[in-house]
Amino acid sequence: MREQPLKEVTQLIHAIKVGLVEGSFGITNKTLDIFKYIIISKSWKNADALMQIVRAQCRILQAALPQETVTSNIARRILKLTREEFDLLHAKVQHFTDDSQASLSLHKLVTQTSESNVSVDYSVPQQGLREALLDHLQEVETELETSSENICVQAEEHIHSSEIILTLGHSRSVENFLKRAIKKRQFLTIIVAECAPACRGHNLATSLAAEKNVEIIVIPDAAIFAMMSRVNKVIIGTHSVLANGGLRAACGAYTVALAAKHYSVPVIVLAPMYKLSPLHLCEQDAFNMVGCAEDVIPYDSIPARETKVYSPMFDYVPPELVTLFISNTGGHAPSYVYRLLTELYHPEDLEI
Amino acid sequence: MSMSVSLQAIKMIKTSDQVLQTESQTTRAKQKKQRQRNRPRNKRNRVEDSTTTANNTTKSSTTDSAPTESAMPGDNSQQDATREQVMAEREAKKQAKQAKKQKATTPATKIITEVEQTTITTKLTTTITTTARDKPEPPAGTAEPAAPIAAVTCPASTGTETGDKTRDQIKAEREAKKAAKQAAKAAKSSGTKVEPPVQKLANLKVTDKTPTLTAAPSSAADDDKKKPALSKAERRALQEAQRAAKAQGQGQVKKAQPAVKAPGAGTVLKELKRESVSPVKSATSSSPSKNSLITAKSECKVKLFNHLVCAEKGASLFINDPLVHPSMARLGVQYAQRTVVGSNARCIAFLHALRQVVQDFETPAKKEFGRSLDAAVKHHVDHLHKCRPLAVSVSNAYKQFRNQVTQLPADVPEAELKELLVHFIDTYMENQIGKAAQAISSSLQEKITDGDVLLTFGCSSLIQFICEEAKRRQVAFRVIVVDSRPTCEGQEMLRRLHAHGIPCTYVLINAVGYVMAEATKVLLGAHALLANGYVMARTGTAQVALVANAHNVPVLVCCETHKFSERFQTDAIVYNELSDPNDLVRDDKCCLKNWTAKAHLTPLNLNYDITPPELVSAVVTEVAILPCTSVPVILRIKPEIGY
Repeated sequence: MREQPLKEVTQLIHAIKVGLVEGSFGITNKTLDIFKYIIISKSWKNADALMQIVRAQCRILQAALPQETVTSNIARRILKLTREEFDLLHAKVQHFTDDSQASLSLHKLVTQTSESNVSVDYSVPQQGLREALLDHLQEVETELETSSENICVQAEEHIHSSEIILTLGHSRSVENFLKRAIKKRQFLTIIVAECAPACRGHNLATSLAAEKNVEIIVIPDAAIFAMMSRVNKVIIGTHSVLANGGLRAACGAYTVALAAKHYSVPVIVLAPMYKLSPLHLCEQDAFNMVGCAEDVIPYDSIPARETKVYSPMFDYVPPELVTLFISNTGGHAPSYVYRLLTELYHPEDLEI
Repeated sequence: MSMSVSLQAIKMIKTSDQVLQTESQTTRAKQKKQRQRNRPRNKRNRVEDSTTTANNTTKSSTTDSAPTESAMPGDNSQQDATREQVMAEREAKKQAKQAKKQKATTPATKIITEVEQTTITTKLTTTITTTARDKPEPPAGTAEPAAPIAAVTCPASTGTETGDKTRDQIKAEREAKKAAKQAAKAAKSSGTKVEPPVQKLANLKVTDKTPTLTAAPSSAADDDKKKPALSKAERRALQEAQRAAKAQGQGQVKKAQPAVKAPGAGTVLKELKRESVSPVKSATSSSPSKNSLITAKSECKVKLFNHLVCAEKGASLFINDPLVHPSMARLGVQYAQRTVVGSNARCIAFLHALRQVVQDFETPAKKEFGRSLDAAVKHHVDHLHKCRPLAVSVSNAYKQFRNQVTQLPADVPEAELKELLVHFIDTYMENQIGKAAQAISSSLQEKITDGDVLLTFGCSSLIQFICEEAKRRQVAFRVIVVDSRPTCEGQEMLRRLHAHGIPCTYVLINAVGYVMAEATKVLLGAHALLANGYVMARTGTAQVALVANAHNVPVLVCCETHKFSERFQTDAIVYNELSDPNDLVRDDKCCLKNWTAKAHLTPLNLNYDITPPELVSAVVTEVAILPCTSVPVILRIKPEIGY
């Protein structure tokens, strides 16, 4: 089956590949815009057609950008929304015809799902579906916009004064979170591991150094273990959260988490809800990618000719090394992630 | 057709002639010569097209070796060739003179660097290079070897046709090399006749670099006099020695003390070829470290490390102290600038310097030899400690030496005592470092089998030795070298292993989880083994051991017993060494660049970390393969078993 990408989708893919759109938040926002455009457009007549289009475009995005899981996460959200709205409208129609079924008993809640899954026919055209969807999409948009802020607000709950915090690389949510913590708490010491070869930790350090009442220490990645014995908390961002509660995070996160485990330091992971992906991957080979090796060793050096050089981009962090997830809806244990996933996405959409 | 081509060529040159009308007579002569050279070449092209086998052979001979002029194809008249030769000789003389005047044009220096390696043996015969600068031009006998040099410089300086120029250059370079080799041979046999050109080469080299440079390489080269055919490793060692000397030139010790030229220094550098001088370091130490000389004096901004005093790197330390022996002063600079790194290398360098001190020591009037020597050596060690905190291996060696000094017999002449001490130093070096490495290597060999993937971190001379030994046994294994910023010592390790043909993989330390699944054994070097079984090593070692443990890969720490320390330590912060924080700044574009301006921001560059014994499967020493916890046992029995 050949599916043609929309013009907007190709543009987005290009923008991401060239680096015009960066960060999970930006990508999520743009993807959402595309799906909104699809919903507004008149190209679909019923819920089933819409879902087909969304799935097709999602598959294209996934194939083009396998590392960006947020695109398919958003698509799953849209699919779930469509199903919900359709069911709601469908129920309303039925409600008029059959009044006796209006009361929802506990018994019905339990038994209902098995029946409805089989019976619902999404190809039936439904009045007012588009409007309802756009309404609901507005909610998703606001949730996305406020997610960073909602995470930041929880900084005070987790950080006390004169704490020593270690972080790795540069994550926007971590940056905002720590800035908030610096404002609220005094005498913090923040240790930033630079995360070679890109050394994005340097950016975070300079950005945080603009604040007052804080001490920023930049360390090379090799010194993580040495410094860990003095650290109170590890706060890191992640690329995505996997279904088992594990992380697919920046390279080096595994070492940080292991060292933290060795010294029994809690590891707090900041992950907005859109980073939760229903992927059951439990080893890094399943998803890892290797980046440009030029930064690791210069191409023109003599041994580089015959040496294998890797510059992997991600690390898999198993769930047992993570203490807590902080999302925009609050804190969650890694073992609870599966439950969040079932709430967030429809079981039939896990496979797109 | 060929005529038209040659005509075109001539036309081209004519046009260029018009452009260069204002040029002097010499350039015109050059162009004339070039025109002459062009003609036969075009003919040769035609010959190539027609593929005459006989001419082909002549062509191949030209490209292979023979000088450009004499190899011109035979269908041209013989006269041309001879005239050209005369021209070339004249040119050569002119060029040589010009080179002397103008301190060598760039292409000339290029050849010199090329030739440097081959001529390094010939230089042995002419150790004094700096004085020969204003000698008159060597007479006719030298014209032939000088010609190739001219052949290179001529086309380069005229620069009318680029394509031919490069080809010419390549040829001429080859010739220059060959000439140098011939010169070397001749020097071996007679020595007198070919000296002048060699001197000239040396001269050009001198003009290229700072005058202080030549002293150390030549002295280092002195030692190799016995074996004129340098092996690859030795040549590398020489290069490293030169680099070290360069780094030292910056330290400005040389000017104050010409005596540093002493042969001992050369031998040190030669000995250190195994592990010592890290070229990466000396290469990168250009701009940031210069800053550090000024800034590093201020105390550490990180409160956690206030107790670790940054080594004072003020220039005042390195200017001449009358009580410090030149060899020690030089060593101090090498320590401070991290040109000598690695605990074995530091120990060997220290022992060599110490031997020099002992040999040159003169007992003051009415004083006892042993005691005054002890005091003098103590002063030296203090000096070294100021330059950089002493390595455990160095302080252990010093302790042993002191022990020896106090036990010196009383009624023996001084010369004999010195002999005794020198002998002690030599045996210490041989037993504790050389033989220990062999013992460790041989006990590890049975652990390395076909298909093994060894993972190692940073650069360790011992691990390198073990890998080389395994390669010699023709075991099919490969090595994963894990490295970390900012020192990137692993690149040096990679270079050495690569030179021995060992297949390598190279990753940075945060990717260690990515490659750990492949590894079958982790071999780690150590700076010291502490009495509580903790391993003190380069930062990152503990992390590698941690990840290896998580993957259930055995971790073997290789450490000679002379690195065992009686200190107890449980974390890396109580006692550590801080390196220059500016090393963390990547380049000028890095946003950390002006960190000093920001009050709250500090890069921290720890030198060592501590690996807890539970992460280490075994320690391989020359005594046995032991668990970490047996360190105190070794420490206790060590004097008894004579190590």
